[in-house]
Amino acid sequence: MTLWRSIRGTLAALGVTLKAIFRRPATIPYPEVKRVPAPRYRARIVLTRDPRGGERCVACHLCSAACPVNCISMQAAEGPDGRRYAAWFRINFSRCIFCGLCAEACPTLAIQMTPDYELCRRDPLELVFEKEDLLVEDGGKDRDYDFYRHAGIGVAQARGEGSEEEPPADVRSLLP
Amino acid sequence: MPTLTIDEREVSVPAGASVLEAAEALGITVPHFCYHKALGAVGACRLCAVEIQAGPQHGLRMACLVEARDGMVVSTTAPAATGMRRAVIEYLMLNHPHDCPVCDEGGECQLQDMTVAGGHGVRRYRGKKRTFPNQELGPFVEQEMNRCIQCYRCVRTYRDYAGGHDFGVLGVRQRVAYGRFRPGRLESPYSGNLVDVCPTGVFTDKTVRFRARVWDMQCAPSVCPHCSLGCATWPWARYRELLRVSGREGPRTNGFFLCDRGRFGSGHANHPDRPRTPRLDGRELGWPEALEALRERLTKLTWAHGPGAVGLLTSGRASLESARALGLLGQALGGAPVVCEPHPRRDRAVRALVAELGQLGRDQEDVRQSDCLLLAGLDPEGEAPMLALAARQAVRRGARAAVWDPRPDRLPFPARRIARLPEALLEALARPDGRAPDGLEAAERESYAETRAALQAAERPVLLGGADLLGPRGVRLLLAAARALSRPGRACGLSLALPGPDSFGGALLCPDGPDADELLAGIEAGRVRALVCLEADPLSEHPDPARVAAALGRLELLVVLDHLPTASAARAHAVLPTTAAAEMDGAFVNHAGRLQGFARVYSAGLPIRVTGQGAHPPREFRPDTPGELPQPGWAVLAALAGEPVELGELRAELARSEPRLAGLAGLVAGGPGVQLALEPSARERPDTPAEPGVAEGELALLSVEALFGSEPLSARAAPVAGVASEDALALCPADAARLGLGEGEPARLRSALGEAVLPVRLAPGLAPGFALVQRRFGGPLEGFAPGGGPIACRIEKGGAR
Ligand code: SF4
Ligand code: SF4
Ligand code: SF4
Ligand code: SF4
Ligand code: FES
Repeated sequence: MTLWRSIRGTLAALGVTLKAIFRRPATIPYPEVKRVPAPRYRARIVLTRDPRGGERCVACHLCSAACPVNCISMQAAEGPDGRRYAAWFRINFSRCIFCGLCAEACPTLAIQMTPDYELCRRDPLELVFEKEDLLVEDGGKDRDYDFYRHAGIGVAQARGEGSEEEPPADVRSLLP
Repeated sequence: MPTLTIDEREVSVPAGASVLEAAEALGITVPHFCYHKALGAVGACRLCAVEIQAGPQHGLRMACLVEARDGMVVSTTAPAATGMRRAVIEYLMLNHPHDCPVCDEGGECQLQDMTVAGGHGVRRYRGKKRTFPNQELGPFVEQEMNRCIQCYRCVRTYRDYAGGHDFGVLGVRQRVAYGRFRPGRLESPYSGNLVDVCPTGVFTDKTVRFRARVWDMQCAPSVCPHCSLGCATWPWARYRELLRVSGREGPRTNGFFLCDRGRFGSGHANHPDRPRTPRLDGRELGWPEALEALRERLTKLTWAHGPGAVGLLTSGRASLESARALGLLGQALGGAPVVCEPHPRRDRAVRALVAELGQLGRDQEDVRQSDCLLLAGLDPEGEAPMLALAARQAVRRGARAAVWDPRPDRLPFPARRIARLPEALLEALARPDGRAPDGLEAAERESYAETRAALQAAERPVLLGGADLLGPRGVRLLLAAARALSRPGRACGLSLALPGPDSFGGALLCPDGPDADELLAGIEAGRVRALVCLEADPLSEHPDPARVAAALGRLELLVVLDHLPTASAARAHAVLPTTAAAEMDGAFVNHAGRLQGFARVYSAGLPIRVTGQGAHPPREFRPDTPGELPQPGWAVLAALAGEPVELGELRAELARSEPRLAGLAGLVAGGPGVQLALEPSARERPDTPAEPGVAEGELALLSVEALFGSEPLSARAAPVAGVASEDALALCPADAARLGLGEGEPARLRSALGEAVLPVRLAPGLAPGFALVQRRFGGPLEGFAPGGGPIACRIEKGGAR
């Protein structure tokens, strides 16, 4: 009895294997084949651009404040047009936990998570991404948003010319 | 003392206090914008709504405007009150731009806090927002008018509190804006306070525009090192760079505000040429080697030529502990005496004050509470800027003020003026009969008599003076006048502006050592062969730079400990880098004898802005911090003496050896400090001889400090260096006409301080017979050290500039 049961068990297992040979495999032969995750997947972080192609990031420090592992650092500076921008911007991906809190905090939609998960390096210093490594030539998600158009302090357009603004008040007029 | 109930808790407050202040006493903060402890209430913002449920008033009221009364029952959390506050916030946000991310106030913005606290998260109003044009207000203050919530704090500070004239409110209806009539640099020396008082981001610090968020900065309670008043500050640093300074509440000192020198002068700590590595004979060394080599050389000199072979010089810039450590080094070298100030006349003036002051010292709060003030030989704007604001508060409360000074009157309050040197007047005031001195004009005699009578009648009179103009004799006369005006039970106080933040402490530690002239004589005679300068720059601070230069040239060894790239450091054989005040723990004794501690804000090091050359920080791993070598002066000196100590030990030793400094043992930075228990010294007071003065018919030159550019620390701060006034020779129009000089024409000035060709500036306020220059580092007047009193000078139509 025992012998028969052993033979049956072996054949059944072989059958399973034989059947699987003709089915599509569940694994993929990475790295020859790469999987594309959903757009909302949280992996490599990028800095995006506004619809006019300018850098979106205004170096407000909200992402670095939100980051629970303190892996974002930057220095804000003033451009010739009065625009606030990041003179340098650094994310240390060897520390990043891809929680997405920075992207959630960003008021300008500059910092965004992408599905690019290929972030292994042999040297930890190579995981320290500078601004030039982070900037992409694209608006990413919400391509149409342009913070300075709505800021209301006259950087992207003259003061008072925004769609939500009155023209500048004449403070010397005493008319009602 | 009315007793009232707020949120079901009882509290008694002094009569006249508002409900808002009563709540504050209970630890309940009623949200507010326009109320400010120093500015009072105006009821402009309508945010501080509370519900009064019982008592003399009923219903929704503004907590800042309602006086606390007996039996009141107040609720700060009643639905009517919270609802009103929420509505007010929503109204205030109607016109507010959508720009917190690019606003420098973000993170420390009262409007942000209140908006979040009030739960206003979604904009319901769909209309357009009002906008304003902005103004260019000079190098210190940035304006973004769209962010204003019309709380009026700025005008109340600038005009009412600080007496500025060039700033105000314009417009009507919802077009009310705050600024100057025309764009231009804010003229008030207190303009930076706009940054602190504005609860929103309308006024922000332009010198650090977009440089850092408040939550990324390091800060610790500190004491302003830019004059002797010792105002309470918060210095802020990031990435090893001292970025900005804001006012800290100092009830006995500055109250809340700061002058622009104290606020914008901190950049000296970031000076690119600042010494950062120990240097000996042109070679850069590590600490152990440098100290070892210097110790050996100093010891050898002492053995060969006796303890007098090493001279020790400090200045009012050094901390109390560092000055003490210099004394300990002197002891280790067999008793080398310490000279506590490079300018001998300043030195003697400070020591005269410290020896005789006793309990007559008055600080800024005493001045604010005074009812009669005499400013004798004091130009607060240059020597002690906040003292003018303190005096202004007294005058606003009804105090009378008089000023005896030949310099043009720049005071932010009205005062009866006698445009003369104060010495003779003080001498008269100190005499029992108080008879006016000879040679006064009738109006002056009347003014003198009136001032004397007012000082005698006043309850809390204070005499203010400046050590620089008065000199040792003037200081003694001022002290004598204060004593003569005192009666049992009612003293006449005294408040004297001194050269440096720790001039008082330094003089306390060496009451009767030699002065700088004796030191120079020693060098010239070959007795003194080595000189150790602790944060002192004799080349720019001594009244005879040529003599100092020759003397320094004779030295076998000149050791300079400093954090500034001074002229003396450039000539030294050895430079030992020390830390600036914000980079160390320490203590200063201010002009009124108050001991105040300051804490380390950040550790010295090369700013990342430098190491990264403006781009990202270098991509390298290293165990040390670049430029981290500067050490506190006391630590360097103790190591040089061969007895390294901890700050605590040094303070304990100091408290033991000098009973007047007993408070040092328990001193905490950020506290109120300790008023030293001073006794007037019982020693015979030698009669100070009258100074040679200036012959009849000759012009008397006064070299004085300006708000910017004269004080050694702030003069080296980048934001301030750009605004220092042009070098000029001020003359009264009559003298200028006599010399045939007109406004802007070049004149050649010759005096014991040096020679310079300067444009003439006509100063109608200047007394005839005087010429006035303001010392400025980095220009032809660098060697014109202030503190020398009136000296003879020759002025002629000048050659090429
Ligand atoms: S939150 Fe966005 S805008 Fe702000 S610093 Fe980060 S990336 Fe830049
Ligand atoms: S003033 Fe305050 S609320 Fe307004 S933009 Fe600046 S940080 Fe934001
Ligand atoms: S500028 Fe600032 S301080 Fe002045 S009224 Fe507006 S919000 Fe208040
Ligand atoms: S008055 Fe003097 S101590 Fe006060 S802030 Fe100005 S410079 Fe500093
Ligand atoms: S604080 Fe009371 S109305 Fe502004």
